[in-house]
Amino acid sequence: MGSARRSTIVIHSRKNIFITCLLATAWMAALAFGGRVLFKYETTAGQVGPVAANWPASSTVPRVTGKPTLLMLAHPHCPCTRASIAELAQIMAHAYGKANAFVLFTKPAGAGPDWDDTDLRHSAAAIPGVTVLTDENGAEAARFGAETSGHTLVFDPSGTLIFSGGITASRGHAGENAGESAVLAALKQEPTGRERAPVFGCSLTGRTSMSGGKLCSK
Amino acid sequence: MFEVGEMTAVPGAAGARAEELFQQHRRQIFRQTDQLFARLMLFQWVACIVLALVVSPQTWDGAASRVHIHVWSALLIGGAISLFPVWMTRVWPGAAVTRHVIAVAQMLMSALLIALTGGRIETHFHVFGSLVILSFYRDWKVLVPATVVVALDHFLRGIYLPYSVYGVLAASPLRSVEHAGWVVFENVFLVISCLRSIKEMRFIANRTAALEASDQRSRQLFDDAPIGMAVVALDTEKFKQVNGSFADMIGYSEEELMARTPLELTHPEDLAETRRSVEAILNGTDRCAVEKRYLRKNGDVLWASRTACVIRDKDGQARDFLVMVEDITERKRAEEAVRETQRALHDAKMEADRANQAKSEFLSRMSHELRTPLNAILGFGQLLERQNPTVQQRARVEHIMSAGRHLLNLINEVLDISRIEAGHLQLSVEPVAVAQVLEEALDLMRPLAADRAMELIVDKELENDLHLLADRQRLKQVLLNLLTNAVKYTAVGGQVRVSVERTHSNITRLVVSDTGAGIPTEKLARLFTPFDRLDVEQSGVEGTGLGLALCQRLMQAMGGNIGVESVVGKGSAFWIELPAVDSPLSALPKRRNAAKDDAVAAGGGKILYIEDNLSNLTLVEQMLAEQPHIELLTAMQGGLGLDLARKHLPDLILLDLHLPDLRGHEVLARLRQDAVTRAIPVVVISADATARQIQRLMTAGAQNYLTKPLDVREFYRVIDETMRSPDRQPEAAVA
Repeated sequence: MGSARRSTIVIHSRKNIFITCLLATAWMAALAFGGRVLFKYETTAGQVGPVAANWPASSTVPRVTGKPTLLMLAHPHCPCTRASIAELAQIMAHAYGKANAFVLFTKPAGAGPDWDDTDLRHSAAAIPGVTVLTDENGAEAARFGAETSGHTLVFDPSGTLIFSGGITASRGHAGENAGESAVLAALKQEPTGRERAPVFGCSLTGRTSMSGGKLCSK
Repeated sequence: MFEVGEMTAVPGAAGARAEELFQQHRRQIFRQTDQLFARLMLFQWVACIVLALVVSPQTWDGAASRVHIHVWSALLIGGAISLFPVWMTRVWPGAAVTRHVIAVAQMLMSALLIALTGGRIETHFHVFGSLVILSFYRDWKVLVPATVVVALDHFLRGIYLPYSVYGVLAASPLRSVEHAGWVVFENVFLVISCLRSIKEMRFIANRTAALEASDQRSRQLFDDAPIGMAVVALDTEKFKQVNGSFADMIGYSEEELMARTPLELTHPEDLAETRRSVEAILNGTDRCAVEKRYLRKNGDVLWASRTACVIRDKDGQARDFLVMVEDITERKRAEEAVRETQRALHDAKMEADRANQAKSEFLSRMSHELRTPLNAILGFGQLLERQNPTVQQRARVEHIMSAGRHLLNLINEVLDISRIEAGHLQLSVEPVAVAQVLEEALDLMRPLAADRAMELIVDKELENDLHLLADRQRLKQVLLNLLTNAVKYTAVGGQVRVSVERTHSNITRLVVSDTGAGIPTEKLARLFTPFDRLDVEQSGVEGTGLGLALCQRLMQAMGGNIGVESVVGKGSAFWIELPAVDSPLSALPKRRNAAKDDAVAAGGGKILYIEDNLSNLTLVEQMLAEQPHIELLTAMQGGLGLDLARKHLPDLILLDLHLPDLRGHEVLARLRQDAVTRAIPVVVISADATARQIQRLMTAGAQNYLTKPLDVREFYRVIDETMRSPDRQPEAAVA
């Protein structure tokens, strides 16, 4: 009786060990795969269109001469842009008064009046020195060649583009990054070290989805 | 609370039990913590999903949107992270692999949360919190995989995405070390905490094992006790615990007893007493023992000695009763049997007493009825002898007288034996001067010896100083009997000798030897059988066949022995043995000075001393010789004493109880009945010191009672007190 019972336990344990090993392997594989996907998502930058080398004359954004002008084009609903707004707040804290800053929230055609009345817009509006505007039907984005939310452009006082790109290190990640440093240097009219940086955020234009690409990706 | 370090390892079986308890406790903690993490994992999973739905529910492409990848990550990756450990807790609860998987999963969950919150530094606290929760396992090893995961995560991110963890573009490798260092810093204290917890768990296990061992011993003592033991709850009054002995005793199983109260098992007649004993204990009596009856399951009565005491809790509150029960049914039966036997014996004794009383009455009546005609026969026979009968008539009168005396002796001896056997023989055992008693006996024997031309010889060793402890009258009776036999059964011209031998320290043997025909050895054993005359009935020698039998009983009654040695053709030697004692007079000179001091202070007077023992007479004579103003009169017979009392009206009478003619209480009664002597104070002097006897004489009118041997100081005190008494007015009585 005792030995039979012991045998049953042994068989049962072996079976469990096998299943456990199998599940553990699948578990690790799944986690590795999931981690890779997430990592890739976080580190994949968005699309950037043909950026104007000079301030477009047709732009309705009131550029003020004598100071560098910072222009961020953002999607009012993009969660990833929260990090960009946070970084913009950091930049403006360091360059307050040294530049004019605008955040243009795109509003697609046919969108309701509350389309851009979001916490993101409120956050941007709360940053001292930042002017929030609505980019009706993404016209300004098109003029400046921005296709991804969080795309930041810096023009020198003469209207020449001196920086174009994102100011976050990865998607949705706040913190010090190359774009942020370059923008800050540009606003202080110092050497930026780089004129381009990847942009991480949602698509502004809707072309990505129409072309079958990923949302929030290039 | 307690010092863990003071607990030493428990040796032997208790040590193994301690290890078992420790492992059991650890397994329990592992399983409980597994369950905690299973729930935590599920909670974190849900929290991740909620977080993703709130923070980044959708991703946008212009006006179009769809579910954000964070939501899918929370759902799928979070699910993957959580479900496998949860499954492990179900399949491998408490296993080391389970908690290590949980540790890895928990750290991965931290990584996921950090990713979902966009690398918020606050989310990193989840890592530290997770390590603390992992220490709930009290297994420091589980912190290792968790720390490795954190370190790896930081290391890899530090290489590929330094800004995602350090917030800088190019992090130094030392930043990874620094971050891991903080984790290790926390781990150090968590490891210390785990080790301390393990130590405490071992301490608890050791103490629990020791307590279990102690409890086991107590339980074994309880269970294996040869007497019945039970614990009764005070609140429910039911049995809480019983041992096998009690169950066997009462006939119920232990389970059946648990549903009952002791009162339900108690005999109805003992319920009140049982309740009283319980109340006594509750009112403060430490323990209470009663003998009571239980009713067995089969209805039989069980007599038990039940001792109960209260078991109190640590606050001193009475909680239970401890009851110890011993089966005394057999003892009770035996006691009942003894009582029955005692009743039977008492009844038998009463019956025997009644029979004895009837026998005594019969003997008394027979004695009276026989003595009355004998008195006439012997009286008139003596008158005929005095009327100058013819030779033929004298011979006939001699026959009548001889037969009458024979019959009188027979009656006396039968009555004596009867008294001895009935325990009614009154003896006054005291120092007796053997020479005087022997001389009196020889005086009586000399005429018979002269008739038979026999020589009576007494050894010179028999001096006056030799005193034996005996009743004087009965010693004389025995000696007379032995001398009579020696003279009767020895041929004419023979010789009878009385000698003395000291057998050992204080036993003296008196030997009466003769030169008779001797007795065959085979007949010696019959010598002391009543009415067995050893076939000498035809020899013409008169005898009742009761003499030696009576002598034997008298000697035994006096604490002595009797025996015989005989050689056929040479003669027989009958001996008696009695303890030798000092003469009462020998101590007198030593006490003389003291006697003077205590001498009678009263004025002069007459004292009459009625005593048959010459030694006692001499003693009192010498004691009173110191008092010249006191005149001492003596009488050795009761009748003479009564005469002297009437004639001289003494101031005090000293009265012995054993007198040859009248018994002492008879003399006392006559003194009290006589108007002339009624007022004379009487002090009884006797060897009988029993309270009953003293009470009897005092009631009969004695003024005081002195016991032999006499205490001189007491003697003087009593004489003085009695002669000073205002009641002492014999003259007045005469007047």
